[in-house]
Amino acid sequence: MLTVVLKAFDRVFDPVNIALIYLLPVMLSAMYGRIRPAIFTAVAGVLAFDFYFVPPSLSFTVADLRYLVSFSVFLAVAILTATLAARLKQQLYYAERREALTASLYALSRQMSAITDIRALLDNVTQVVSRTIGTEAAVFLPDENRELTLTSRSSPHSDWGAGKSEQAVARLAFEHGEPVGKGTNTLRAASAYYVPFRTEDRTYGVLAVNLKETSASFSPDNLRLLEAMADLAANAIARVKFAEEAKIAQLTAESERLRTALLDSVSHELRTPLATIAGSVTGLMEGDELFSKEERMELLTTVRDGAMRMNRLVTNLLGMAQLESGMLRLRKQWCDMGELIGVALAHLKAFQQHRTFKVSLPDELPFVLGDEALLEQLLVNVISNAIKYSPDSSEIRIEVKSGFNRMTVSVADQGIGIPPADRELVFRKFYRSHAARHVTGTGLGLAICRGIIELHGGTIAAEPNGGKGTIISFTLPAEQTAE
Amino acid sequence: MSVPDSGARVLIIDDEPQIRKLLKVNLHAHRYDILEAATGEEGLLHASTLHPDLIVLDLGLPDLSGMEVLQQLREWSRVPIIVLTAKDREADKIAALDGGADDYVTKPFGMGELVARIRVALRHVAKSDDEPVLQFGELKIDLAGRLVTLHGERVKLTPTEYDLLKVLASHAGKVVTQRQLLQQVWGGHHHESDSHYLRIYIGHLRKKLDEDPTCPRYIMTEPGIGYRFLAGDFLDF
Repeated sequence: MLTVVLKAFDRVFDPVNIALIYLLPVMLSAMYGRIRPAIFTAVAGVLAFDFYFVPPSLSFTVADLRYLVSFSVFLAVAILTATLAARLKQQLYYAERREALTASLYALSRQMSAITDIRALLDNVTQVVSRTIGTEAAVFLPDENRELTLTSRSSPHSDWGAGKSEQAVARLAFEHGEPVGKGTNTLRAASAYYVPFRTEDRTYGVLAVNLKETSASFSPDNLRLLEAMADLAANAIARVKFAEEAKIAQLTAESERLRTALLDSVSHELRTPLATIAGSVTGLMEGDELFSKEERMELLTTVRDGAMRMNRLVTNLLGMAQLESGMLRLRKQWCDMGELIGVALAHLKAFQQHRTFKVSLPDELPFVLGDEALLEQLLVNVISNAIKYSPDSSEIRIEVKSGFNRMTVSVADQGIGIPPADRELVFRKFYRSHAARHVTGTGLGLAICRGIIELHGGTIAAEPNGGKGTIISFTLPAEQTAE
Repeated sequence: MSVPDSGARVLIIDDEPQIRKLLKVNLHAHRYDILEAATGEEGLLHASTLHPDLIVLDLGLPDLSGMEVLQQLREWSRVPIIVLTAKDREADKIAALDGGADDYVTKPFGMGELVARIRVALRHVAKSDDEPVLQFGELKIDLAGRLVTLHGERVKLTPTEYDLLKVLASHAGKVVTQRQLLQQVWGGHHHESDSHYLRIYIGHLRKKLDEDPTCPRYIMTEPGIGYRFLAGDFLDF
């Protein structure tokens, strides 16, 4: 084809130019075809050149032997060019492939950092490996007994990977920490390639690739890819495991804290009244004649107060335990909040210590649906707090307001108040505000209140009482009207 | 109201030796005659052979449960029974009261409370049912004429309110469960949800008796259990 074109230029170009132009098709065929067609083109070019352009024209004989040299040079150059072009093309192909592999590795790595579920992660690995290398892949993970089990596979329908032999080979890879199988020094005859995923100190599992079907050799690129994926998977699994362990450690630390707080609190709160009881009673027993009637009465009062304090502690502990265990069942009835406030106040009469109480109820007081005994305990806890943290002769105001479907009860004292940072924390178990450290207490009262309120579907909160003191208010679902 | 019932025989059925000792010493000081039993079986035996005037029964007995002892006693005896209960066991208390117990105290209890309840129980047994007028300070209830006066002024009550007051007042000092009130005032069987009516009427009654629910004089609420008319002033543990 080219010959025809060139013939036209015969008069214009020198034979030398024409020879060089013959190189063009050679290069083109090398670039777009493969090396054989390129060589064919080279030879065909020489022959055509000889036939058409070398005198005597239109024959294959060569008049001038010098042309033979030219022909050989031309052929050599042509073939070299073809070879180089072909190789270039192949290198381009490999480079593109490598880039594709790297891209998929990168994508997998990003996916892995997003997936926190090991299962999904491994499924992803097998899918990507299978896609990239073009064969089946499978992952083996150790179970509780350190036995390797098939955990995920790229094609769920084949039974490759589930067999004993595959498991045995996988186990070998797992234990040695080195790749095993086709293409390695160990168990070459195996039909698959097994690479363990490991970090420096631990092996987490084995990735296996079924090479039985593929005739293609296992290229170094693929090998590197597999190893890179195994590393990625190992790191991802390690990361997930560390996260789990961190969470467990955190929970353990928290329950340690509670247990310590409980033991400290209970120990102190029990021993103090016990000490006063033991001391007072032994004093009376051993030195009865020494005391006047008033002194005797005082010691006895101390004993009684100590007993009451211990009783309250036990009640609080039991209450907390019941709330925690979720065993508390509400005995729901329509309750009259006014009545319950009356009971709570009567209950606390001995503790009132010169506090004045002002109670205000609305004219129409709706009933609340709740457990009477628990609501009474709630009131007792809130009111006794108000007494405890306020000075003698101060006023405590209890107000009940009814709104749409809800009732709000607030207990306001003029005491030491709660700093803003603690206002939510005081409802936590065993939490005691720093400001209240000089007052005895377990830190359970308000936590129990919150527990009871939540069981009733209400809310409880603390807020400051103007400049001085605290208002604890809680809301409960209530009837619409009093009737 | 403070005349000791000297010579009244009280049977204590409790498995805890310290409680028995405590009760024995204290009640003896109040001039009661004390009998003891450490088990339910022993208690039943003493009850049938020694005829106590009142029984103090611990609900938490190990062998025969306290409830069983109560039931068996009530099969043949009307002797007043006061039960000792643990805290937070409302259901137990109600079951005991509805099952025939006259009253209860919750451990730990103040001695004054127990003694008062014993006295009330003994008094209710002793008095005849034909008392025409009940008087509680400024409150006077004329049962014959169905007339109630407070500070000398007539209190107008609806029939239901009057019946309610009558039941409470007839058991003055003793606890009356919600169910007992519903049964005696409204008759028939009742559901727990009927406590709604009860509360409403108690509220009305209080208003008419000029009573502040947050500081009641006559009608005391026993949360989760019922009401007690004129409880008196005792230290609540």
